[in-house]
Amino acid sequence: MLKRIKGVRRVLFSAFMAISFLLLTPVLSLGDQKTDEGKKPERLIEMAVEYPVVVVAPKEEVSMDIIFHNRGRSNEDVEVWIDSQPKNWKAKIKTYRYGIRGVHVPSDQTKTITFEATPEKEMKLGEYKFEIKGRTVDGNFNFHKTILVKVEEKEKGTVEAKGVKLTTSYPVLQGPSDAKFEFSMEVESKLDKEAVFDLSAQCPEGWIVNFKPRWEEKYFSSIRLKANQSETVAVEVKPMPLAKSGEYPITIRVSSGDARAEVKLKIIITGTYALEAGTPTGLLSLEARQGKPANISFYIKNTGTAPNRDIKFVSFKPENWKVEFNPEKIPAIEPGDLKQVEAIITPYEEALVGDYSVGVSIEGEKVKKNLEFRVTVRPSTAWGWIGIGIIIVVVGGLAGLFRWLGRR
Amino acid sequence: MHGLKAIFKKELSDHFSSYRFMILFALITMVSLIIAYMVGMTMREELASVAKPKYVFLMLFTSRGGLFSLVQFIAFFGPLIGLILGFDLINRERNEGTLSRLLSQPVYRDSVINGKFLAGVVTISIMMLSIVLLITGLGLRMAGVIPGLDEIWRMGIYLVISIIYISFWLGVAILFSILFRGIATSALAALAVWIFFSFFVPLGATIIADAFVPDPNPNNPEAILTHAKIQKAISLVSPMQLYSDATGTIIDPTRKTTRTVILMGPLEKLSQARFAGPLTLGMSLFVVMPYILLLIAITAICFAISYTIFMRQEIRSL
Repeated sequence: MLKRIKGVRRVLFSAFMAISFLLLTPVLSLGDQKTDEGKKPERLIEMAVEYPVVVVAPKEEVSMDIIFHNRGRSNEDVEVWIDSQPKNWKAKIKTYRYGIRGVHVPSDQTKTITFEATPEKEMKLGEYKFEIKGRTVDGNFNFHKTILVKVEEKEKGTVEAKGVKLTTSYPVLQGPSDAKFEFSMEVESKLDKEAVFDLSAQCPEGWIVNFKPRWEEKYFSSIRLKANQSETVAVEVKPMPLAKSGEYPITIRVSSGDARAEVKLKIIITGTYALEAGTPTGLLSLEARQGKPANISFYIKNTGTAPNRDIKFVSFKPENWKVEFNPEKIPAIEPGDLKQVEAIITPYEEALVGDYSVGVSIEGEKVKKNLEFRVTVRPSTAWGWIGIGIIIVVVGGLAGLFRWLGRR
Repeated sequence: MHGLKAIFKKELSDHFSSYRFMILFALITMVSLIIAYMVGMTMREELASVAKPKYVFLMLFTSRGGLFSLVQFIAFFGPLIGLILGFDLINRERNEGTLSRLLSQPVYRDSVINGKFLAGVVTISIMMLSIVLLITGLGLRMAGVIPGLDEIWRMGIYLVISIIYISFWLGVAILFSILFRGIATSALAALAVWIFFSFFVPLGATIIADAFVPDPNPNNPEAILTHAKIQKAISLVSPMQLYSDATGTIIDPTRKTTRTVILMGPLEKLSQARFAGPLTLGMSLFVVMPYILLLIAITAICFAISYTIFMRQEIRSL
């Protein structure tokens, strides 16, 4: 029994020891690091190439960084050169502006320079070796790195964004075919020098694509960008007016030499808004009497490809006339549908006899159509007869007087 | 008043059977037809700028469809009707010797002149009424102009004033036919008076006003007003002016005064333009009442003079 208790206690003790050791370890190691930093070597510098082995297509250029790490406590000046290079390649070491032979690496910093190799002609498939050598000015440190460029046949047909980037926030727009669409597109140059980029578009036949600055009304077809600069370009698309509803892809390409990119845009045509109006007989004239309503019915046809909603009627009429419509408005007409409306035209009670023009404007949500009616006002029959009656009475009365008084 | 009815009826039938009257009547019917047609053609254009046309019916008579309106025509040539009807009424009978024969009948002397004057007035009335009714009938048929009650009243008053006006000239003609033995003399004298009052007086009024206020400065309203007042005062001597002023306001309800020159400030002008409503019939009558009374008065005076002279004249001597 006692033995068992003793064994348990030993296990507990060893577990405690293990835990306390684990807890202490980070503290101990921290102390170690501090002492390590203090013991930084007087001089320590390394050279590395970014990608020791690259795979490119024939005629494609190679560009990468050469990195220097200075881990020592003193600044270093390093000479760097290309020791050997294959035939027909043009290789150089440069910064963003100059070709260089040496670089200054301050203490505890990393410095990057660029290695660039351009094939002078289309290279044969195979491996090409570039030897980069470097050394500190006093010759204490010598570096030797190799870059292996494998030229391989590229898969055809895929166009990769390279050197330039095209992005758009709204690649799909929707609207009627008589609308104007505007995409906002960002062209970002990844080239290290200023370049002119050509813009082109592939669109369905009859469509018009224009490029213009964001806030200005002028069109351009190319754009000059500085290295690593980006510019927002508005792409204005005018669909063919008769385009049926559906989806239409548009490809925008931007290119400058080898650098090219493309972006796929899409326009969804929802349909056009068009109205046709007329009378069933084609007759646009009617007769009315003063103060008496006259009816004429006309039809409205939706000749567009989208439904027309909220069709109202507005009349342009002579002063003091009344024009009413039955129904007063039409909530919606489906494409190809026909609706009949009755116009009730009431001339002014004291309107003079003659022809008048009454215009009716049929105003849909997006379109407007005008009809002009010619209203011939006839005298109201009763008054016309009274007029004739007066004339007859006068003439008759005078004739009677002559007969009565003229006899001697 | 014995024999008045007989003389009246005989005179009336004389008028209606004479070629002179027939020609005159044909002329006037023609003129009224032309006026109705012209007005019917041009009224639409005149009304195009009016928001809510009122008194369209009256425009049939006042609208100058191209040449002249009926109102203008009557003012100028209405006197001729009266003159033609009356210039030989008495002296022709006297020259033919029928007057003494007529007066030997059991007929009062005043019945002769009363009957002749009355017959002339009735003829004038029939003529004017026919013209107005013809134009109304044509307007109703051709232009669809429907008269309102107010307009019919105004037309009635216009008719009455016109009849009085023409009757005045009839009275003048009768006066001359009593005064002068020769028919041509009386006709010429009546014509001279007509020309004097219708053409000379309005012109003379301007000349005299110019003499008093030479070249009124447009910046001096007092001078302009004096000029206008003198001109008006003198031209009012002419019965034609009286008649034009009286009928103008009756037949055109938008006219608010018979004056031609009104002095008003800019604000007054603005309010006039804004509240340019037509006058009511009563107000129009009120404005022109002095003119109507004056017309009636001169007609009555003219006839009274003829009457007195005729009653005292020696008849049998010739």
